[in-house]
Amino acid sequence: MSERSEVTIKQSTAAREAAAPPRKEAPGVRISGLTVVYKTPAGELPAVRDVSLTLEPGSITGIVGESGSGKSTLALSLLNAVQPPGRISTGSVEIDGLGDVVGFRGERLRKARGQHIGYVFQAAQNSLNPLKTVGKQLLDLGRSHGVDDLRGLVREAKELLGRMGLDGARVLDSHQHELSGGMRQRVGIMLALVLNAHLVVLDEPTTALDMITQANILKIVREVHAERGLTTLVITHDIGVVAEVADRLAVMYGGRLVEQGPTRQVLAAPRHPYTRGLIKAIPRLVGDIDEAQALPGRPPTLVTVPKEGCVFRERCALRMDVCDTVDPQARVDEGAYGPRIVACHAVTVKERA
Amino acid sequence: MSVLLESSSTSATMRRNFWAGVWRVMKRKPSRMVGVVLVLGFAFMGVFGPMFYPAQLPRDPNLITSPPSAQHWLGTDDQGRDVIALVVTGSRYVLLAALVTALITVVVGTGIGLFSGFKRGRWDTVLMRLTDMKLTIPGLPLLLVLSTVWKFGSPTQMGLVLGLLGWGGVARAVRSQTLSLRERGFIEAARGLGLSTTHIVGKELLPSMAPYIAMNMLIAVTGGVYAQVGLFFLGVLPYESNNWGQMLNTAVFRSGALTVPSGLGFLIGPLLAILLLTLAIVLVVDAMDEIFNPRLREE
Amino acid sequence: MITGTGIVKTFKQRGKVLGAREVMALRGVDFAIPKGGAASFIGESGCGKTTLGRIIAGLETYDAGEIIIGDVTMSSLRPKQRQPHYRKIQLIHQDPYSALNPTRTIHQTLYAPLSLRARQTGRPRSWIEERAAEVLSLVGLDPGTVLARYPHQLSGGMRQRVVIARALTVDPEMLVADEAVSMIDVSLRLGILALLKDLRERLGVSVLFITHDVATARYIGDDGELYVIYRGQVVERGPVDTVIADPVHPYTQSLLSAIPVLHGLERPGEQPVMPLESLDESQSDEGCLFARRCPFRGERCTSERPLLAVTEAAPQQHACFYPERRSVIARPMSEV
Repeated sequence: MSERSEVTIKQSTAAREAAAPPRKEAPGVRISGLTVVYKTPAGELPAVRDVSLTLEPGSITGIVGESGSGKSTLALSLLNAVQPPGRISTGSVEIDGLGDVVGFRGERLRKARGQHIGYVFQAAQNSLNPLKTVGKQLLDLGRSHGVDDLRGLVREAKELLGRMGLDGARVLDSHQHELSGGMRQRVGIMLALVLNAHLVVLDEPTTALDMITQANILKIVREVHAERGLTTLVITHDIGVVAEVADRLAVMYGGRLVEQGPTRQVLAAPRHPYTRGLIKAIPRLVGDIDEAQALPGRPPTLVTVPKEGCVFRERCALRMDVCDTVDPQARVDEGAYGPRIVACHAVTVKERA
Repeated sequence: MSVLLESSSTSATMRRNFWAGVWRVMKRKPSRMVGVVLVLGFAFMGVFGPMFYPAQLPRDPNLITSPPSAQHWLGTDDQGRDVIALVVTGSRYVLLAALVTALITVVVGTGIGLFSGFKRGRWDTVLMRLTDMKLTIPGLPLLLVLSTVWKFGSPTQMGLVLGLLGWGGVARAVRSQTLSLRERGFIEAARGLGLSTTHIVGKELLPSMAPYIAMNMLIAVTGGVYAQVGLFFLGVLPYESNNWGQMLNTAVFRSGALTVPSGLGFLIGPLLAILLLTLAIVLVVDAMDEIFNPRLREE
Repeated sequence: MITGTGIVKTFKQRGKVLGAREVMALRGVDFAIPKGGAASFIGESGCGKTTLGRIIAGLETYDAGEIIIGDVTMSSLRPKQRQPHYRKIQLIHQDPYSALNPTRTIHQTLYAPLSLRARQTGRPRSWIEERAAEVLSLVGLDPGTVLARYPHQLSGGMRQRVVIARALTVDPEMLVADEAVSMIDVSLRLGILALLKDLRERLGVSVLFITHDVATARYIGDDGELYVIYRGQVVERGPVDTVIADPVHPYTQSLLSAIPVLHGLERPGEQPVMPLESLDESQSDEGCLFARRCPFRGERCTSERPLLAVTEAAPQQHACFYPERRSVIARPMSEV
């Protein structure tokens, strides 16, 4: 991200902090200059490179990216939970009421996860213990976070499950295999929220779920978000999911944040060629089917991502000479619904002309 | 045209790549090299070792059950024969029998496991009941009984009996592997393409299980060695030819190696050989997974 | 032409204590896929669409009904004799990672079915190599770089192309693509779909697309038929665009309502339908299978099972006592 955008972000945060003192509810998050590297036989390679992103308090932000785009790594950085061989090499993740979690270690970090930050793992992954009932796992969670009032915790859990349309008592008595995909996902959301976390990260919340279940989960995410006053981050490969729930949309490619802005504006008028390509590649229900166009090439991996210059240039129709050598700077345009940021040489050139 | 030339020589290239990959895997950890060298050493010992010694080992009546010395590094036995010479000449019987054991265990076990898992249904039920029954037969008592009527004069006979007693576990394991593999997309695709069962089993299933089978085979070698040495050590089999188990038996029961320090070398010789062989196999087994998995074989 | 009539399949589930519970996976399904045509099965997971696809590809048995390939009725043949007929129908797996043998190179993977083909038709060995290169080119891969590779050296999209190339080695009449793009990166999905579409046009291969995503089904063949399957029963069947634009079965309407709306580009339908509860397989089989979840259920629905038929309500077949058109799908902003 360019210096200029960082300055803007810092200014806007400063203004907000002056206006409202930090509360437990809906924290803001400021990721700045974050680089996460993974150790490989070819040396340390960045999975996330120099990413700056602000989550406004009370907003839902959606990060869209393909496999290898670094979106999951970015989400894990929010909890400072990048596992070796990966590590956060530079940058900071400032969370209101907590501070910079990149410096957190041990007990302090463990307490922050769960009580401040709730993480909902991929629906496809079985993140629940198959040998224990959901209720037992809830109690384990409560004990490990030193909750005294375990009865209260169970009550809260039942209430949350009931809110999501499940029979709380029955679900707490169930093992993982007795729950459907959609139910498991709701249990995941419950476990993330039950300790009263107000920053929630959902990693691929609807992957491997059916359409109707997906619509249900997304509705629940929206409602719970509003009711409990959360700041929510949704990580997904599916633009449709973000379009349904998120206020702001951020697009990642090859470890870089290439475009971000208010969801509707980005969808209506995408500026980065990758965002444009992604939207164009979605088949639609009405209209000419040949309007959908495939993106050429394939997404880069940790090893094949270009070390310098634009990460998208191999697949870009607007490629110029400068793209090979110079990393495009993020351009910030303040708009009525929030800033729009795009990192592309071609867009910059076009607008200057 | 270049495409054609390239692909017609692919199989040769691939074979070369395979061995290059094996070499890479071995180089990755020095311990594996040590294992391979030891295994080769034992093989050499078994095949050529006895040729370096006369059929009748020279006896030194002045040095009976002597402790290690410059002349006899591990001492001598109760007849004044060099212990190292005994270990070397005795290795052929043990190793050959163990190899036969391993081969039979793996061939029979894999065959039955594959067939049972691939065919399923009635065949599976019958074969697995048979396997279960076989698994419930206690091996050692049966061997003790068998030894009263059969003298196991040749190592192949020994291996045959041990092998036929040992395939049960492998069969069960291979069957469960087959059951899980046959649900994989590529097996199903092969069936859908109308490829023959021989192809599916031989070219698709077996290579996927190769590391597993190879590991089982190596471990069966050590199992075979233990079983024979145990039998000879217990003395249930009469002395036919010199071997490691026989040596241990003589060392302990006749030379009193456990009480008299002078017989210690006599005891240590065969023990050391068994220990080294086990170590060598454990070290080599470590590389199996990487050798047979093209992804791990690379980089 | 591949047709099926009254296909029934039950799975036995291990019972809790005594006996086995039977689960009806398919309750008498009819279908017909013309030569070179397209058809799509849509529905939630567990609705039986995958089972039906596997039955059509000859990878699963069925308990009742008939499958007719060309003009040959499968049940009139012995299992061994069916094989060459089923070979004309090739299944493209959802998971391109398990569909290729990790221990075999792409060359080996293609060589096996091709050499079988060469033996059957008496073609020389050189033909095998030529054809291997040809099928790879057909799916948009460069034979020179791909042939010697192992599957793990290829991306998900390339693997799926290899899987399709392997299916083409036996000159199939139909490809059954079961969620063929769901495990592939989003920017590469349309490429695979376009390939299937292209193969249909160029080679005249018919495509049966099994998915929960209606929009992709439409992309493969908007001239084909859409089968909406619910708990083993086809509840609505008709031309793709008709069913999408004017669905009359409440289940189809719920499926279409659930498709995410690209706000900013599209405006949502005015009458979205949301099922009353989530899918529960253990629900009673009496009456309409969807009745418990249906927001519009009437008295008849809980006692009687509606059958697939055409009524005055709509030109497409539907299995509903109270069919009604509702505007459920999102439409582009530009259209309004």
